[in-house]
Amino acid sequence: MVALNDTEATARRNSVPWLTLRRREAIEGWLFVSPTLIGFLIFFLGPLIAVVFYSLSEWNLLSQRATYVGLDNYADALTANRDFWHVIRNSIFFAAGLVPLNMALALALAIALCRPGPGVVFFRTVFFAPVVTSAVAWAIVWRFLLQGEAGAVNQLLAHVGIDGPNWLREPNWAMVAVIVTRVIKMVGLNMILYIAALQAIPRDYEQAARLEGASGWQIFRMVTWPLLAPTTLIIMVITTIGSFKVFDHIYLMTGGGPENGTLVLAYYIYEQAFEFFDIGYASALAMIMFVIVLALTIVQLLLRQKGSA
Amino acid sequence: MTRPTTIASAVAALALLSAPLAAQELRFTVWTGNDAHLEMLNGIAASFAEKRPGVTVNYETIPAGEYVQKLTFQLAGGNPPDLGWMFEDAMPTFVGAGAVRELTPALESAEGYDLADFSEPAMGLWKKDDAIYGVPFSTSPFMIYYNKDMFDAAGLEDPLTLAGRGEWDMDKFREVAKALSEANDAYGFEFKDGQGYDTRIMHALMPPIRAFGGFAWRDGECGFNKPEAVAAITMLHEMVFEDGSIVPPGEQGDYFSGGSAMTINQISRASKMPEAGFNWGIAPLPTGPAGASPIIGQAGLVVFSESEYPELAAEFIAHMTKKENVAVMAQFFPPARKSVLESDAFTDANALIPAEQMQNVSAAITEGTVLPSHERSPQINAAMKPRVDALWRAEADVQASLDAVCEAIQGDL
Repeated sequence: MVALNDTEATARRNSVPWLTLRRREAIEGWLFVSPTLIGFLIFFLGPLIAVVFYSLSEWNLLSQRATYVGLDNYADALTANRDFWHVIRNSIFFAAGLVPLNMALALALAIALCRPGPGVVFFRTVFFAPVVTSAVAWAIVWRFLLQGEAGAVNQLLAHVGIDGPNWLREPNWAMVAVIVTRVIKMVGLNMILYIAALQAIPRDYEQAARLEGASGWQIFRMVTWPLLAPTTLIIMVITTIGSFKVFDHIYLMTGGGPENGTLVLAYYIYEQAFEFFDIGYASALAMIMFVIVLALTIVQLLLRQKGSA
Repeated sequence: MTRPTTIASAVAALALLSAPLAAQELRFTVWTGNDAHLEMLNGIAASFAEKRPGVTVNYETIPAGEYVQKLTFQLAGGNPPDLGWMFEDAMPTFVGAGAVRELTPALESAEGYDLADFSEPAMGLWKKDDAIYGVPFSTSPFMIYYNKDMFDAAGLEDPLTLAGRGEWDMDKFREVAKALSEANDAYGFEFKDGQGYDTRIMHALMPPIRAFGGFAWRDGECGFNKPEAVAAITMLHEMVFEDGSIVPPGEQGDYFSGGSAMTINQISRASKMPEAGFNWGIAPLPTGPAGASPIIGQAGLVVFSESEYPELAAEFIAHMTKKENVAVMAQFFPPARKSVLESDAFTDANALIPAEQMQNVSAAITEGTVLPSHERSPQINAAMKPRVDALWRAEADVQASLDAVCEAIQGDL
C-alpha cells in the first residue's frame, strides 16, 4: 500500500499538468478575440456564404418561394439584362471621376496643411467637417444649391456670365454633380491620412535634397511622392472600394436618375433586393460587385509590388 | 377508462374551456405615429375587447417610407404581424405573392356588417375576382388646393367658383395657371408635394390623362402612347416649358409656403393649411374632354397569411370597419361606406374644410377611381422612371418619349 502511494506520487510529479502556461495563454487569447470572432462569423462570414447560396436561387422574399436555378442569375445579369452593363458603365465612370479627383485634392490639401502655421488647425477642421456631417443633411443642402435656375450655384455662375445647367436633371451633369459633392464630403478623410504620412517623412531628406540643389517640384517628385507610395496605395484601394459601394449619396441626391444616369451598382442591388424583393438576382449582383472590387484591389497591389521591385 | 386517460381528458377539456379566456395579442402594423390617430385606434381596440375579453391589440408604427420594406422583412423573417395597414400600390403585389388572407367569409358572417354599403369603385383594388383581401379604411380623393390670395391678386375667379358653374376644365386650368404665374411671384401649379417628376409620377400624369379619356394600361395593353394620353401630357409639357406655369423639374415651388398658387393633394394635407398664412380652398379636379374623372388614393386593412390568429384578426377588421367605427374614423380618414359619406357627420367632420367643399370630397369618393396598380408595380415604376425623365426635357418629343415608356413597361404588363 505504501509502495503504491509512492508510485502515485512519482507519477504525479512526472506528469505534465493539462493547463500549461502555454495552453492557458492560448485560451485567454481566444477568449479575448472571441467577441470579435463571433461577430465576424455571424455578421460577416455567415451572410457572405449565405449570399453565395442565395445567388444560385430564384427567391422572392414576399412569396417566400425559392427555387435553385444554378448560375441563371449571373447569366441573366451578364448577358440578358441591358440595365446591368449600363450600371457597370456608370459605376466605372463614377469611380474614374471620384478616385483621382479625391486623391489629388486630398494630397494638395495635405501638403498645404501638414506643417504648423496660422489657421492650419482651422482649415483642417473645415475640410474634415463634411466627413462627419450627416449624409442626409449634406444631400438636402446640395439638392437646394444645385436647383436649376433658382439654385445658388447657378446664380453664382450667372454672376460671371455662365448659364449653368439643371445639374440634377441632366444625366451627364448629374453624374458630375454627385462626384464633386461626394469628393467634397469625403476628401477630408484622405487629407488626414496624407497629413499623417507627410509628417512621418523625416525633414532631413528634404533638407539634404535642398542642399543638393533640388527644386521644390524635384523634392516632391523624387523624395516625397515615392515615400508616400504606401499611403497612396492604401488610399487608392479604400477610395476605389468606397466608390463602388457608394449608395447613400446616390439614394439621397438623385435616386439613380435622371434617365438612370447615376444608377450605380450598389443602388441597383438595393433596388432589386428591397424594392423588387428579388433576393436571388440581387445576391448574384452583390457577388459580381465583390469580384470586381476584389480584382481591382489585387491589380492595385500587384502594380504596387511591380513598382517597388 | 384508465386513470391516466381520465386525467389527460380532464386536462384537455380544461385547456379547451380556458382557451377563449387566454390572453391573445394581435400585432397590428400602421404607418402613423400621430397621437390622435393612435388614441382613436386604441379606442376601437377597447370596444373589441368588450366583445372578446382577453384580446388586446398592439399597434406598431413603421414609418411610411420604409413600411413595405420592413413589413416584408418581418414576414420573411418569421416575425409576422397579424394584421396591418396596406398601401394601395403595394396591395396587388402582396395578393399575388399570397402574403395576405382572404377576408370575404369573415366580413360576410359579421353581424350587421352590410358589405354592400361600401362604394363599389372604392372596393375594386381590394378584391381579386370576387374575393375580398382588404378593406379600405381611408378613401381620399385628390383635390385642387388653391391660394385664394393669389387668385385675387391676379383678378381671377377661384376654381371652386368656376367648378360651381361647370367651367372648371383643363383649358381653364391651363389659362389660370399661366395668369397666376404672371401675376404673382410664384408658379401657377405644383405637382403633389413637389414630387411629380420623381416618386409621384403617376400622381402627376394620371389626372390629365383620365380627364382626356386615356388610361395607363388595360388588359396588358399600354395606354401612355395612345392619342388621349399624348394630348394630355403634351398639355402638361407645354405648361411646364412654354407657359412656365408648372414648377419645372429640378426647381422648388412649395404650395404650402406660397411658392405655387395651386397644387393637387388629399384632404389630409388640410392640416398644414392653418400655418400657411394665406386664404385657401379646395376644388374638384378640372374636367376634360372625357368629363369629370376624380381620382382617389386609398389605404386598406389586411390580415397577413402568416398571422398567428388569422380568424381573430379578420374579426377585428370586421369590427373596425363596421358603420359605427367607420364614422369614428371619418374624422381623419375619408370613408368608403356610402352611408357615412352621405351623412352630415362626415361633411361636418373636418373643422378646416367647409361643408360646401366637403360635399365635393364626398362626390369624388363616390365617383372616383384609384390610380393604376399592378402586381408588378415596383418593376413598372422603375422601368418608367428613366423614360419619364427623358420626357421632362424642354426639347423632348412627347409622343416618342411616351412610346419609349410603353416599350419599357410592356414586358411587365
